[in-house]
Amino acid sequence: MSPIKTLTLVDDDDVFVFLTTKAIEQTNLVDLIKVFGNGLDALKFLKENKNNVDALPEIILLDLSMPIMNGWQFLEEYTKLNPTIGKKITIYICSSSISPDDVTRAKTISEVSDYIIKPITKDKLIDLIKKL
Amino acid sequence: MEKITDYKYALDESSIVAITDQKGIIKYVNDNFCNISKYSPEELIGQDHRIINSGYHTKEFIKELWTTIANGKVWKGELKNKAKDGTVYWVDTTIVPFLDKDNKPYQYVAIRSDITDRKKGEEELKKTLKEISDYKYALDESAIMAITDQKGIITHVNDNFCKISKYSVKELIGQDHRIINSGHHPKEFIKELWTTIANGKVWKGELKNKAKDGSVYWVDTTIVPFLNSIGKPYQYVAIRSDITERKKGEDQIKKSNQKAIEHAHILELKNVQLVDFCNIVSHNLRAPLINISMLVDYIEQSSNEAEQKEVLAKIKPVVNHLMEVFNELVESIQIKQDIEIESDQVILKDCVEKVLIGFETQIKEYGADIQLNFDKTDIIYFPQKYIESIITNLISNALKYKSPNRKPIITIKTKKEVNNSILLSVTDNGLGIDLVLHKDQIFKIRKTFHKHPDAKGFGLFMTKTQVEAKDGKIWVESQPEKGTTFFIEFKNQNI
Repeated sequence: MSPIKTLTLVDDDDVFVFLTTKAIEQTNLVDLIKVFGNGLDALKFLKENKNNVDALPEIILLDLSMPIMNGWQFLEEYTKLNPTIGKKITIYICSSSISPDDVTRAKTISEVSDYIIKPITKDKLIDLIKKL
Repeated sequence: MEKITDYKYALDESSIVAITDQKGIIKYVNDNFCNISKYSPEELIGQDHRIINSGYHTKEFIKELWTTIANGKVWKGELKNKAKDGTVYWVDTTIVPFLDKDNKPYQYVAIRSDITDRKKGEEELKKTLKEISDYKYALDESAIMAITDQKGIITHVNDNFCKISKYSVKELIGQDHRIINSGHHPKEFIKELWTTIANGKVWKGELKNKAKDGSVYWVDTTIVPFLNSIGKPYQYVAIRSDITERKKGEDQIKKSNQKAIEHAHILELKNVQLVDFCNIVSHNLRAPLINISMLVDYIEQSSNEAEQKEVLAKIKPVVNHLMEVFNELVESIQIKQDIEIESDQVILKDCVEKVLIGFETQIKEYGADIQLNFDKTDIIYFPQKYIESIITNLISNALKYKSPNRKPIITIKTKKEVNNSILLSVTDNGLGIDLVLHKDQIFKIRKTFHKHPDAKGFGLFMTKTQVEAKDGKIWVESQPEKGTTFFIEFKNQNI
């Protein structure tokens, strides 16, 4: 039995999703990896399953720059939604942006546990999952 | 005999009388003489008449007096005498020599009247006149002076006036004062000046005048109306000083201030562009680089050959993507550096039709209806290559994000605006954009708002850059599922 059931990637970058998925699979720490290409799709899923604890992820790795709804917009909506969600979800921003503005902004959002600058290594992923 | 006594009495009462012998020794003085000279008769009788000399008159003057009376002639004149207490007084004097049978004077009768007050007045007047002429001199030396009559006709100018206006006195006298008008000041300003002085009030201000040779000069001006007995101005005295240099200095300061502000503005803009650029680099170049690095790491760590091949195949598209982003960046920087690009006279109809040829296949395929309305304004001054690119991008977007539920209708219109600009609008009935969500990002690089495979997020960024390269403005109105209108304001259109 793995330490966590579901990890969700919210990222539109196919290469990153491909490699990260592979890396997570190799750790054998996660049962299911769910991928959403933008914030809106992820948000829809969370809304629809807010009472379905089994379907909700334990960890979300959230990209910032995405079409339709970017990471910031997702967080804004998620903050409103959070009280109604029946599970503690740990959110990590995982972005290629090294802009200090982005890092500072992330710190002001209490729903965000940490800001991870891409690339993310397998060791770091293991660390994140085990820390939970 | 009685009559003579009466005359003598009248004379004594009215005049200052003294009688001397032929040598000038006083033999008789009357009361008036004693009063004015402050001597008693005893102190005077037997004294030389010079006792009351003030020493004021020249020797020649006194000599002439004596010569006249010694020759038996009457002398008349004004004398300044000295009283016992040292004060002086003026007397109008007539000296009559009394002659003996040989026609030689044996005594002189001097009849005087006190004119001290009159003399004092005269002296005061002289002093005042001197003072006035000193003032006038000082003014003439220091200031630019002109006097006009109540109608503004020049009646007097000084040298300074001639020097600065480059006219001669002859050319100015009799001329309307407007001869030196530069036309710089608005009518209201001049009217206010005339109203002030015509009401008898002093006007002060700075005036720009024109010299004979057409050059202009600035003068600090005070105009004083001289009023007649009923309080109406009969002439105006204008006193000016040359402030051309100061004005030049002020202009210079104004100009350099303006320049400093412009520079600051440009710098600010450059800074914003720099920050934008850093963000673009951070967001858009770093992502593919990381992809490549992660892919390479993965290949290195993998021992499975099939997997290595699979991952290797993923590198190429990322490199292509990186190249594409890089080229876009270079292109946008070139536009930013190319602000000095010249505007062309673009005939909009021709330009749009040329662009539409490129979309012919798509238009046919979608059954799109393209409506052009350039009746009012068909010509735009803008760089030809930019405007083609702008229209291409907007039409491309309108077709790309068409609604699946209806045939595309695209309307392209122009409108004249009040501030010398032209407003171009491109309206579609497509998917629309959620502006609440995407307001700040619509013209940013690499931002896409639809799940379209060709959406790259570069077109609008480029369009905005091109529009702004010539001070233009671009904005958007849109409603999801209704459609979108892009507006572009082209400035400085010479209309």
